[in-house]
Amino acid sequence: MDAEMTSRLKALFETKLNRAMRLYLDTCARCGLCVESCHVFNSMPELRYSAVGRAEVVRKIFRRYFKLEGRFAPWLGETLRFDDDTLEKLNDAAYSCTGCRRCVVHCPFGIDTQQIMGIAKALLIGADREPKILSMLADMSVAKGETWVDSRGDYENALRNLEPEIRALWPYSPTGSPAVPYEKAGARVLYVALSGSHSIVNAAALFNAAGEDWTVSNFEAVNFGAFVGDSSRMSRIAERIVTEAVRLGVKEVAIVECGTAFRVMKQFIGPQPFNVVTFVELIDRYLSEGRIRLDPDRIKDLTTYHDPCQIARNAGVYEEPRRVLKAVAPNFVELTPNRQENWCCGGGGGLISLGELEFRMRSSRVKAEQLKSSHARIVVTACENCHSQLSDLNEHYKLGMEVRFLSEVAARALLPPGP
Amino acid sequence: MGTEAVSAASAAIHPAAEAMSAATPLVGSAPISGLLQGLYWFILVPGVYLSIVAFIAFSAARIVRIARAAPLPYPLAIYPEPRHPIRQALRDTFGMSQVYRRDRKFWAFLMMYHLGFLLLIVGHLDLFPNISVVSEQSRHMVGAGLVGVLVTLPTFFFLGRRFRSPVRELSTPGDYLLLLLLLFVFLFGDLISWGNSWTAKGFVMTKQDFAEYFRILGSFSFADPRTVLPGSHYHFIVIHVLLAELFLAVLPFTKIVHTFFALPLNAIRRLPWTRK
Repeated sequence: MDAEMTSRLKALFETKLNRAMRLYLDTCARCGLCVESCHVFNSMPELRYSAVGRAEVVRKIFRRYFKLEGRFAPWLGETLRFDDDTLEKLNDAAYSCTGCRRCVVHCPFGIDTQQIMGIAKALLIGADREPKILSMLADMSVAKGETWVDSRGDYENALRNLEPEIRALWPYSPTGSPAVPYEKAGARVLYVALSGSHSIVNAAALFNAAGEDWTVSNFEAVNFGAFVGDSSRMSRIAERIVTEAVRLGVKEVAIVECGTAFRVMKQFIGPQPFNVVTFVELIDRYLSEGRIRLDPDRIKDLTTYHDPCQIARNAGVYEEPRRVLKAVAPNFVELTPNRQENWCCGGGGGLISLGELEFRMRSSRVKAEQLKSSHARIVVTACENCHSQLSDLNEHYKLGMEVRFLSEVAARALLPPGP
Repeated sequence: MGTEAVSAASAAIHPAAEAMSAATPLVGSAPISGLLQGLYWFILVPGVYLSIVAFIAFSAARIVRIARAAPLPYPLAIYPEPRHPIRQALRDTFGMSQVYRRDRKFWAFLMMYHLGFLLLIVGHLDLFPNISVVSEQSRHMVGAGLVGVLVTLPTFFFLGRRFRSPVRELSTPGDYLLLLLLLFVFLFGDLISWGNSWTAKGFVMTKQDFAEYFRILGSFSFADPRTVLPGSHYHFIVIHVLLAELFLAVLPFTKIVHTFFALPLNAIRRLPWTRK
């Protein structure tokens, strides 16, 4: 690698050295307590697939270029210089980490490997070695945000075409009113969906059943900028949702069942003039306020819930989905472990978008075993990535389960308006 | 009290040791002996000041550098948020609750070590004239040698752990060297506190002798500590002090900075508002 590239990567690294990152890079005692935290290590026991194994790749570069020992005794910390082998190690580390942050729970210092992998991803982008598919998806997403006006009519038509499906779930909306209000200024809630119709149909039925004053707009929630680790593209993708929410004057932005999209909007974009919630929280709110009624015996089979990492461990939404699920599935069983300790599905951090089916299946064996040992026939979750990954695991490991979204389960259990 | 008087007092207490000290030159030839005595003096007096200054300056530089870095871009807490986040961050830091849950034996040794290290600091501070934890008349330092055991045993455990998988594969040469450095600081400390009480004539050096040495350090008189530290144990003290100086000087460049950073890190994990 030439000196210019090395210098560029070093400068890029330096831009990432905020206060938390310096603490994370300086403090690890290599005690090894995080090794067994990672579902990948537990499924494929190689240290490069442990939290510390991944973080050490970045830390060794840090020691090489930003510490005295890198200059005088690079052997002390087995430092790494920028070269092809190091970039390969970075790629291996960054894209085998789903960013679930289970290791943060177990580290005596709370070192955040997802943050450290943010450096790895940034360096890969700087060296033009990031997975091109993720970069392309992020670019497409950014471009879509710039040309949305051209496709506005098509989108509105597509929403109108969903009406029969929505009315099949909730036929009690007044005739003539749109099943999916579009760009409604002054609505109370802006619902940010994904591109798939499933992310709109169930939510629309629930919103309409609750009599909510809601609207959708043009931009989808998914943030490929976050997956590829590019904070600039992440911000641009998130910013247009913010702009739209401000333009429409909504009080609340409800994010579709997508963990990363929720965490970006909830935590990464800073304070906004509106509240950000995950749609799961709204369902729970409508239920507790008596605005929707759900059939308590809708699901008779043994049912379990998978906590999506970005919604649960990383944002605190634990009990809301459980309350909704228990309202329709009395035969409920917890996964072991669950909540903060739940195993990641293995599809986060962009891995689903990357494909990588073989790696995803091998690296999530522990998740498949956890699902199997619950003896549940239905696993419900509240994240698009988790749903895709759990469905793949179900098929690959022949678990014989059904994988469902919480919104789907709730929408299908809607009871007619009460007396 | 002048150094001559101290020396005389010491000799009165330890006639055997004084005799041994007087009879045994450091090395055979006078010029080399003089050189070695000078070196010993440098290690025991200016070296101590230099290492403390290095420790403070480098540690401060490191802390300032982190404090001046850009603030957290967003909250990095883990949920559920504890009912008492500050209390939880303190528990994580000082109770090592994560270690306790995952590896009880490791936790027990870590607690033993950190408690021992704290007592070690207290024990050394107790040697200064204005600080009195154990009686000035006591021949023993704080813990009567047990404090040394409290840190030495866990260090053996930590070192052994570094040779077992998976920690072995994670360890760098620096990890082993740091532990070996600590181990030898402790072993020489043990040798001084335990070994000198095993001699046939009883104590060679007592807490009072060490206190005299610390009085020299505290007074900045730059006097030769040999005058107050009798017997052949002097060599061990020199090695102990040299290794401790080395440890102090390199500490700010090692992962032992977790001494300063463990609490802020745990605060980041437990308190969503630490982003500011």
